[in-house]
Amino acid sequence: MTDHTVARFDQELGTLGRYIAEMGGIAEKMFSDAMDALISADMDIARTVVETDTRLDALQRQVEELAILTIARRQPMAVDLREIVAAIRISADLERVGDLAKNIAKRTLKIGPEMRIPRAAVGLKNMGDLALLQLKNVLDAYAGRDLEKAKDVWMRDAQLDALEDSVFRDLLTFMMEDPRNITFCTHLLFCSKNIERAGDHTTNVAETVHYLVSGTNLPVERPKGSLGMTNLAGKA
Amino acid sequence: MTDLQVMTAVNGDRAAPSRDRHVTLEVRDLDFFYGEAKALKNISLDLERHSVTAFIGPSGCGKSTLLRIFNRMYDLYPGQRAEGQVLLEGENILDPKLDLNLLRARVGMVFQKPTPFPMTIYENIAFGIKLYENLSKSELDGRVEHALRGAALWNEVKDKLNASGLSLSGGQQQRLCIARTVAIQPEVILFDEPCSALDPISTAKIEELIDELKAKYTIAIVTHNMQQAARVSEYTAFMYLGELVEFGETTRIFTTPEKRQTQDYITGRFG
Repeated sequence: MTDHTVARFDQELGTLGRYIAEMGGIAEKMFSDAMDALISADMDIARTVVETDTRLDALQRQVEELAILTIARRQPMAVDLREIVAAIRISADLERVGDLAKNIAKRTLKIGPEMRIPRAAVGLKNMGDLALLQLKNVLDAYAGRDLEKAKDVWMRDAQLDALEDSVFRDLLTFMMEDPRNITFCTHLLFCSKNIERAGDHTTNVAETVHYLVSGTNLPVERPKGSLGMTNLAGKA
Repeated sequence: MTDLQVMTAVNGDRAAPSRDRHVTLEVRDLDFFYGEAKALKNISLDLERHSVTAFIGPSGCGKSTLLRIFNRMYDLYPGQRAEGQVLLEGENILDPKLDLNLLRARVGMVFQKPTPFPMTIYENIAFGIKLYENLSKSELDGRVEHALRGAALWNEVKDKLNASGLSLSGGQQQRLCIARTVAIQPEVILFDEPCSALDPISTAKIEELIDELKAKYTIAIVTHNMQQAARVSEYTAFMYLGELVEFGETTRIFTTPEKRQTQDYITGRFG
């Protein structure tokens, strides 16, 4: 796109974009590390994830401050306005992804030695891999202003919901088999919910990228997996 | 939802909401010449009744020229001519046989610099009314007050109606000019950069006034202030080098313009 007559405006938008890219990188790493820590019960990695979250929070504040200043200074229109609104929205979603990763890491620290059935986490690993792939794709879609890629991420969220249903059933079975499994399985249930929620934030980002590129919104209703079990898990 | 339904919803149509439209001024295939130079090229657009249409574009794009055609101001200058049609309630105002005084009573204009007559505030308003109507003193008083109220100036000048119009501040002078225009009860009011010589508070008052005036009049405004166009108008026309590049609902023009040139202009990427 052609540069603005006022070069500082381009610099401000450029800085916003770089902040989002950095936030995306951190959120991705936190999420990936949180899943590794959970699967391999690695307490050191889990602690690092918890500590990293402050950096993500700080970046989100920087994005908000710069966005507000830019709106006040430049009175942006059309694509510029969408660019700034998108930065505000995406930074909020990425910050939440970071929070969810931190929560998984905290639960990992709690479960620790109590993890009785390592295979219980296999389903969670599949969910995590998919959520991470989605996150990576949506960040690529943002970086490349890629409408099709954003739509693709938005459509695929249903797969994550379906996986959550299956994890829910597995964990329920373990709990019914032996009441001693209940504590750590409940933690894992929350972890699966966290992964599913991270997926929702990823879809939000996809919606925002769609808005940023096209100026139009995706439909309010997005494709869902098998609703019954997802809803039930949501109440757990 | 099936994939097909989802994709249909995603790509769903974005047609503008339909509403009852009444076109006051209809421009059809309009060309304009300053001597040999063609300043407007094949312009066609409608001004909707009781709405504000903003004209934006860089200097020299033809937006003021277009506005000056709507009340045949160009007739004052030799060598300038318009071709095509401009229909005011169905009547072609480019018709050479048209009574220009009547036209200018129906299509009022407010200029960039306030232009009060060098006479009292009262006479500034009464002067125009007396040209067209023969009213008693009390009727005339009523009309002057009504016009000043209509231009949100009454409370500031009611105790000094015999003071000179030139004694008012710039913003008040501009509202006096609006009152003068409103007094003749036109159908269309043209504003040619009405706020460019005013401070922000006076500008806000004029914008507020334009918002009130559209309940009774059809309004066209030329402005260099994009935010102002976005704030006051329902429709926006972007012009460039004598052509109408894009015309549509203001909300769309300023959020998702269709043309690259429009986008570049409103986002400050021009030239």
